[in-house]
Amino acid sequence: MRISEILRLVWLNLSQNKFKVILTSIGIVVGSATIMMVLAIGTGGREEVAEQFKNLNAGAIDISCEGETSGGISFAMGGGDMIAFSMPDNNMPSGSISIGGGGSFGGGNDWGGFGEIFGFDGESTEKQEFVTLTTEDCEELSLFVQGIADATISYSTSASVEGGDLDSASYYTIAGVQDNYDTISNLEMSIGDFLTEENNENKEKVCVLGYSVAKEIFGSAYDAYDAEIYIDNRRYVVTGVLSEMGTVASGISPDTAVFIPYETGIKYITGSSISPTLTVIAEDVNQVDTVMADVETALADSYSDSTFTISDAGTKMEAASASNETLTLLLISMAVIVFIVGGIGIMNVLFVSVKERTNEIGILKALGCSRRDILLEFLLEASFTSLVGAVLGVLLSLGITPLVEIFSVRVSLSVSGAMLSLLFGVITGSIFGFYPAFKASRLIPVVALNQE
Amino acid sequence: MIEMKGINKGYLLGEEKLPILKNIDFTVEKGEYVAILGPSGSGKTTLMNILGCMDEMDSGEYFLDGMAIHETGQHALTKVRNEKIGFIFQNYQLIPTYNVMQNIIMPLLMRGMSHQEAQEQCRKTIELLGLEHRINHRPSELSGGQKQRVSIARALVGSPAILLADEPTGALDQSSGRDVLKLFRELNEMGNTIVMITHDLNVAKSARRIVRIVDGRLYENEP
Ligand SMILES: Nc1ncnc2c1ncn2[C@@H]1O[C@H](COP(=O)(O)OP(=O)(O)O)[C@@H](O)[C@H]1O
Ligand SMILES: [Mg+2]
Repeated sequence: MRISEILRLVWLNLSQNKFKVILTSIGIVVGSATIMMVLAIGTGGREEVAEQFKNLNAGAIDISCEGETSGGISFAMGGGDMIAFSMPDNNMPSGSISIGGGGSFGGGNDWGGFGEIFGFDGESTEKQEFVTLTTEDCEELSLFVQGIADATISYSTSASVEGGDLDSASYYTIAGVQDNYDTISNLEMSIGDFLTEENNENKEKVCVLGYSVAKEIFGSAYDAYDAEIYIDNRRYVVTGVLSEMGTVASGISPDTAVFIPYETGIKYITGSSISPTLTVIAEDVNQVDTVMADVETALADSYSDSTFTISDAGTKMEAASASNETLTLLLISMAVIVFIVGGIGIMNVLFVSVKERTNEIGILKALGCSRRDILLEFLLEASFTSLVGAVLGVLLSLGITPLVEIFSVRVSLSVSGAMLSLLFGVITGSIFGFYPAFKASRLIPVVALNQE
Repeated sequence: MIEMKGINKGYLLGEEKLPILKNIDFTVEKGEYVAILGPSGSGKTTLMNILGCMDEMDSGEYFLDGMAIHETGQHALTKVRNEKIGFIFQNYQLIPTYNVMQNIIMPLLMRGMSHQEAQEQCRKTIELLGLEHRINHRPSELSGGQKQRVSIARALVGSPAILLADEPTGALDQSSGRDVLKLFRELNEMGNTIVMITHDLNVAKSARRIVRIVDGRLYENEP
C-alpha cells in the first residue's frame, strides 16, 4: 500500500477514536512529564550546588572551636559547621537564626541530603574547655603552618540597625571581619571599597553592606554608599556595598550581612564573648589534607583541652555534589518506576484495543493486505498516539513547574530534557502499542477473523 | 480455474485430530456458477476458507488459476487473495470504523493503487450494486441486505478470478436474499466465476451446478 494511503488510514482511525487516543496516552503523559520533571529537578539541583559553591575557595579550611553550646547557637540549620559561628545569648534576638551556615543556607533547604552531609558532626564532648580563637591564633597559624597562603578570622552576631529608609530598628547579621575577608570569600564590590587594615587597627566605625541590606535600608547600592547607619546606636559610615552574591553553601550569607572591622565589633558590639572562625587558604588545593592535619597539631599545642572543628571546602563540595547525584539517581529510579508502571498500563490498554481489532486485522489479511502494511499502520497509530501523549506530558510538566517552585525546589527545564522525554514517551508507547498488532498480524486470516 | 485433489483438513480436539474435510476432489471451470450444498456442520465454511487461501490444508493439492496453492507461502498467498479471490463472508466482515466507500476501496489500495485511481474504479461497482447514496454511511447504519451488497462490492471491485460466497443469503430476509441471488446470476452472466455455499436447496438451485457436501465428503449430483 502507498505510504500516503496508510497515513490516510492512520488518520482515519485516530480521528475516529479521539477519546481512546487520549485515554491510551494518559500513561505516556504521566511518564513523559515525570521524566521531564526529574531531569529538570536534577539539573536544577546541580546548578544550585554549583551556585552555592561559586564563591567558595576550594582550598579554604575553616576552624572553629566546638565549645559548650551555652555560649550561643551554632549549627543553626545543619549547614552550620562549616563556619560555625556561635553567638552570645544577650545579643540574640529570639527567633532570628541568621547566623552561620544555617541562615545562609535557607535557599537550599529543599535538599534533604545536605543536612546529613553538613550535619551535626560537632557534637560537644564533655569536660571540654571552651576557648575563643583570636587574631593571634590566626597570625601564628599562617606563620608556623606550612602551605598556608592566607588566613583570616571572622565572627558574626546580630545587632539592631537603624538609619536610611528604615522606620524602626531592625536586627541584621553583623559580621566582624578582617580586610582580607573579601578576597578569601571571593566577594565583589558593587561600589566603594572593602574594609581596610587601618579600619581594623583604628577600630573605625565603618561598614560594608551586603547587597540586599543596602537595598532594604537605602533603596540602592548607590544611595547607600557614603551614607550612615546606626548599629547598636553607634554611627557607622558605609564605605562600600557588595555586589549581589546569591545563596552560598555555608558561612555568612553576604547579601544579608553588614560587614564591620573585626576589632570594631569586639569593641562596640560583642565584647569578648564571640566564637570566631578561622579560615585558612591552602596554597595547593591538593595539600589541603596535610594543612588540615598541621593546623590541628598546631592548635592542639596551644589548646590541649579543646576540640576544634576543622573542615575544608573541597570535601563539602564533593559531598554536596555526591548527595545531589544520589538525589538525581533517586529521582531517575522513580521516573523509571513510573514509566514501567505507566508502560504496563499503556500496554494493557493497547493490548485490549488491538485485541478488539484483531478481527479488523483478520479482514485486512483476508482482503490481501500485506503484513508489512498492517504493521506499519498499527505502528504509526501507536507512535502518533504516544506522540500526542508525550507532547501533552511535556506541556503538563511546564504547567507543574510553577507549582513545584512554590516549594522552593529549583526546576531547570531544558529543551534536551523535553526532547528526551518525548523520545522516551514515543518509544515506550510505540513498542507497547505495536507488539499486540505484531502478534495479530502473524495469524493466518481465519484465525484472526474467528478470534473474539 | 480451481482444481483440488485429495484435500484433507481436521481440527485438533485435545490429543486427537478430528477430520472435517475428507479427501475432497473438486474442480471448477472458468465461468461456472457452482453451489456447494450441505447441512450445518458438514465442513462447508472450512472448505471455503481453504478455497479462499485463508486457511491451511493438512494434505492434498490445490491449483488456483494454474498456481500451486499448497506449495505457496503465506506472504505470496496474501497477494493471491488480493488479486484472484473475491470473498463474500457469511457475516459480511466489514470494518466498522470505515464508511462504505472506504470499505469497498481497500482491496484496490492494497494493490498500491492511488486513491484517485482506486476511487475511479470503485465507482462502476458501486453503481452496479446501487450503493451510490450510501458511500458515506458506516456499516452500522446499513440494513443486512445493504451490508451484504457492500461486501459483494468489495469482493468484486478488484475483478478477481473467482468469487467465493459463504452463505450469502444466510443472514438476509427473503427478498434481500432473492436480490443477492439475482445479482449473482447477473454477475455470472457477465463472465464471473462463482462458488457459493449454502445449506438451503432453494438457494443452491439458483446456481448452474450443485455439489453436495455431507460429513466432510463431496459428492457431485445426488449422494
Ligand atoms: N477452529 C475450529 N476448531 C475446531 N473445530 C472447528 C473449527 N472450525 C470449525 N470446526 C468444526 O468443524 C466442523 C465444520 O465446521 P464448518 O466448516 O464451519 O461447517 P459449516 O460451515 O458447514 O456449518 C464443525 O463441526 C465445527 O464444529
Ligand atoms: Mg458455515
